Amino acid sequence: MKKWLAMLLAGSMVLSMGTVAFAEEETESGEPTDVTTVGPDDGTHFELWSFVDLHNTFYANMVEEWNAQNPDRQIQITFSTYPFQDMHNKLMMALQAGEGAPDICDIEIGQFPNFSGENSPLYDLGEALAPYEADLVQSRLDVYSKADGTRIGVPTHVGATVMYWNAEIFEEYGLDYKSVKTWDDYTALGEQLKEASNGEVYLTSVDTGGTDWLWLSMAEYGEDYTGGPEGPVNVMLDSVKNMLTMQQQWLNDGIAMVSTDGHTDTDGCRATILDGKIASFPKAMWYMSRFKDYMPEEEGKWDITICPVWEEGQKYSVGIGGTGTVVTNECEDPALAAEWLAWAKCSPEGEAHIWNDLGFDVCNTALWSDEEFAYSEDNVYNTFFRVKPYELLNQMAEDDAIGTVYTTANSPVLNDYLCTTTLNEIFIDGMDVETALQECQDYLDMELMM
Amino acid sequence: MKAKKILYSQKIAPYVFVLPFVLSLLIFWLYPLVSGIVMSFQEVSFGVTSWIGTANYQKLFRDSFFTTAVWNSVEYMALTLLLMVPIPMVLAVLMESRLTKARGVWKVIMYIPALTSVVISGLLFRLMFSEGENGQMNVIMHMLGQPSQAWLRARFTGWCALLLLCVWRWTGVNVLYYVSGLKSIDTSLYESGDIDGANAWQKFRYITLPLLKPTTVYVITISVFAGLSMFLESFMIWAGNNSPKNIGLTIVGYLYKRGIERNEMGYACAVGVVLMVIALVINFIQLVATGTFHIGKKKED
Amino acid sequence: MANNTPKQKTMAANHKVGTFFATALFALISALIAFPLVCGLLGSFRDGQKVITTGMSLDLKSPVSLQNYQELFAMFSPDNFSDDVVVNSRSYFNWYKNSLVLTITTVVLTLLVCYFIAYGLSMYKFKLQGFLFFMVIATMSVPFEILMLPLYQEINTIGLINTNAGVFLPGLCAASTIFFFKQYMTSLPKELLDAARVDGCTEYGISVRIMMPITKPAFASMAILCAMGSWNNMLWPMLVFRDTSKFTLQIGLNTLLTPYGNNYNLLIAGSMFGIIPILVIYLIFNRYLVEGMTSGAVKG
Repeated sequence: MKKWLAMLLAGSMVLSMGTVAFAEEETESGEPTDVTTVGPDDGTHFELWSFVDLHNTFYANMVEEWNAQNPDRQIQITFSTYPFQDMHNKLMMALQAGEGAPDICDIEIGQFPNFSGENSPLYDLGEALAPYEADLVQSRLDVYSKADGTRIGVPTHVGATVMYWNAEIFEEYGLDYKSVKTWDDYTALGEQLKEASNGEVYLTSVDTGGTDWLWLSMAEYGEDYTGGPEGPVNVMLDSVKNMLTMQQQWLNDGIAMVSTDGHTDTDGCRATILDGKIASFPKAMWYMSRFKDYMPEEEGKWDITICPVWEEGQKYSVGIGGTGTVVTNECEDPALAAEWLAWAKCSPEGEAHIWNDLGFDVCNTALWSDEEFAYSEDNVYNTFFRVKPYELLNQMAEDDAIGTVYTTANSPVLNDYLCTTTLNEIFIDGMDVETALQECQDYLDMELMM
Repeated sequence: MKAKKILYSQKIAPYVFVLPFVLSLLIFWLYPLVSGIVMSFQEVSFGVTSWIGTANYQKLFRDSFFTTAVWNSVEYMALTLLLMVPIPMVLAVLMESRLTKARGVWKVIMYIPALTSVVISGLLFRLMFSEGENGQMNVIMHMLGQPSQAWLRARFTGWCALLLLCVWRWTGVNVLYYVSGLKSIDTSLYESGDIDGANAWQKFRYITLPLLKPTTVYVITISVFAGLSMFLESFMIWAGNNSPKNIGLTIVGYLYKRGIERNEMGYACAVGVVLMVIALVINFIQLVATGTFHIGKKKED
Repeated sequence: MANNTPKQKTMAANHKVGTFFATALFALISALIAFPLVCGLLGSFRDGQKVITTGMSLDLKSPVSLQNYQELFAMFSPDNFSDDVVVNSRSYFNWYKNSLVLTITTVVLTLLVCYFIAYGLSMYKFKLQGFLFFMVIATMSVPFEILMLPLYQEINTIGLINTNAGVFLPGLCAASTIFFFKQYMTSLPKELLDAARVDGCTEYGISVRIMMPITKPAFASMAILCAMGSWNNMLWPMLVFRDTSKFTLQIGLNTLLTPYGNNYNLLIAGSMFGIIPILVIYLIFNRYLVEGMTSGAVKG
């Protein structure tokens, strides 16, 4: 007994000491040391959680800049990065228990409705956002508001949906994607591509695990299946039916494939893109950073345009995805936290980091037309693609082309049913669109009635 | 002095020994359990609770997702029982027979998957059964001249992956349980079997099988609980709680979805209570069927 | 050999064929079982994103590099931000150390506590004995997920949030471990106890000096199972720990899966390296494992 216990202890000691020694060696050799707290000790202390290290790095820089500008109102923030789902779970648990939540926190848009409902424990940011409000994209503020319009989250980006084209493929087959204006044109181009490439290259891939296409179509029609903050939920919309019917037809005609792993923002689908199997897809502007980070070899091959529409004159974009940053009711100086947060994410100083470091389309529209901000060749995205992204944004601003689809308390249920059941039935099983949608509506009526 | 004497007496000692268990039972089991049951009759929203009677339960029995989840869990449990009892038993018998060489090596290799976390093993299986062109299963399909398959989208192939993960991780462990069971069987029984002219099958049927019953009961018990509360395996294979047409949704997965992903704690607690009832019923049936209820008494003699 | 009858010869031949097939069968099963792990191991030596774009193939010709491990151990060198502050809460070795400390504490305390409880339950006859043993079984049949939220609130109130104790205390009296120890001890002769009592040993002295050495194999098998559980646990520690600096290996590895893309290469390398301690413990205690199980739980 003693012998094996000794063995256990000795063995584990050796192991742990070994690792600790390793770890120390690591720091000594000049590798970057971990920074989790930024700012002077006598500053007002906050705790901030995020699910992305890069976000925290951005915030850390904004703490330093803030402290440089406000010597009398110093702040100090301790940062934590958690796994995506776990951070939201933890935040939920902590807010439910009324104890243990951070002062400031990132919340992903799909998770946001869970925190914005009745008795929401989030601080009203209206006052802090007031100086920037006029310049910000309104729909982005709305999605992070309570049903009564109280602003409770600061947006990071617009997430304007655009069309990504593998221009190299179209050039290879001598096809012109630039003249595509409507979905009919788009379908016709798909036929040509199929013929030219012998069915090797698909025009696009349709999603079974994402609703981006539906959002785009709804924005074009000016419809919204959530029914807005007041409801009621209704999926039996022309925009939804027409989009799904058209996509099902693409699959039948061999123009499109089903997105590997469900949607384009997956590792599987990125492999499809790298293989050159799909030639175009609509996605939010933040997808540009995926190209830079995960598909660097695609540099120079891709073009970005506005999306096709059903009829000319419709809106042609919609804001998708995003992160709302909130101040919780556990914060001891919420006014200061809110002021810093609004400044960090909406001021020109902050937006410069968001565009140059994170690669997002910023919410502060006053900066879109700022030559130096938007079109600098130093920004990698201005050279990676065959177009400067802010040119498209300015065109959208001019045409007032960015529609709104709400993310409401009903959205998680709705999204869940569409992505697990309806889209699979339509695209994999080939079920009739009308029938599948009716099934979805029946489920939602039952679920949301109670 | 007197107090010390009482504390050291043979009468009091057992209570001292079990004291930590009683405390832990009250603090970390009974209290949360009762809170959970109470919450299943409430609506909980950021610390504000309101009584809503049996509304959660009424909704539960009309909820098609919940029905799917219950059937998936029960089916998974039943299938794992079918796979994880007979196969390890036969393998263990074969391994302990004089026929197998180098059995120490095989035992170690077969046990290793159990040492990996579900996170990594689930990830390995997800990549293996990926619908992309480069997943190992699709590479094998290509070798056989077949087109790629979307393994995890269809119920049958998706479940094959799920069950395979279970078999992969736990076969080695169950084999070990049976090997231990076999070791405790008196070899003289087989010798007398030989004398009576029994063949291998008869020896297995009339000596090995009955004497392995305690092992089988133990393996079934742990498999029932593990099967009913399976969640992480499905969560890893389908990269989250949303599988195509909910083929991978389990009871605990649904509890997690409602309580944590959707912030409906009261409803989630109702799901939990139903799960507990199902587990207790199955447990009861199994204990009666196998006669384990007398286990405590048998010990005494 | 010389005076073997023909019948014995055929039997010997049969035996040889049988040996071949039985051994081949286990070799095949072992190969199949090893396959995913070997793929993972090879994948951990593949270049960065190759794991995803080309799949985890067994192709031995494709280039092998230590890049993933280098990156993992350096975790992460920030390249896109030159002079600014970089928040880097990830340190593989820190996770590793936290996991080791937590696992060792959990294993040692759980085994000791469960041993004494089981000792009390099996070595004496007292009023609540039957009821308590029933409760041991009952706790096994309630899934942990049901208790999770109320338990979290409780831990928060007691002030154990963000501590190692908050992680292991609720699971300290593990029902399956108590059950196992009890089954093991029930099969041991009780005469020893009486002899020790006659010698003037106290009840507590007996439990430590007489019984503990005898239950060594049970300790060994439970040490493996308990270490496995603790090392691979993720759901509960994730809720309890608030500080990034306290993250265990499993939580830390999960931070590599982000909505910005999954660092599968680091995840696989990190997981492969993370199996080592548990493998070492398994190999050390392996020879006791079957012995412990034989006299333990599986005896009816």
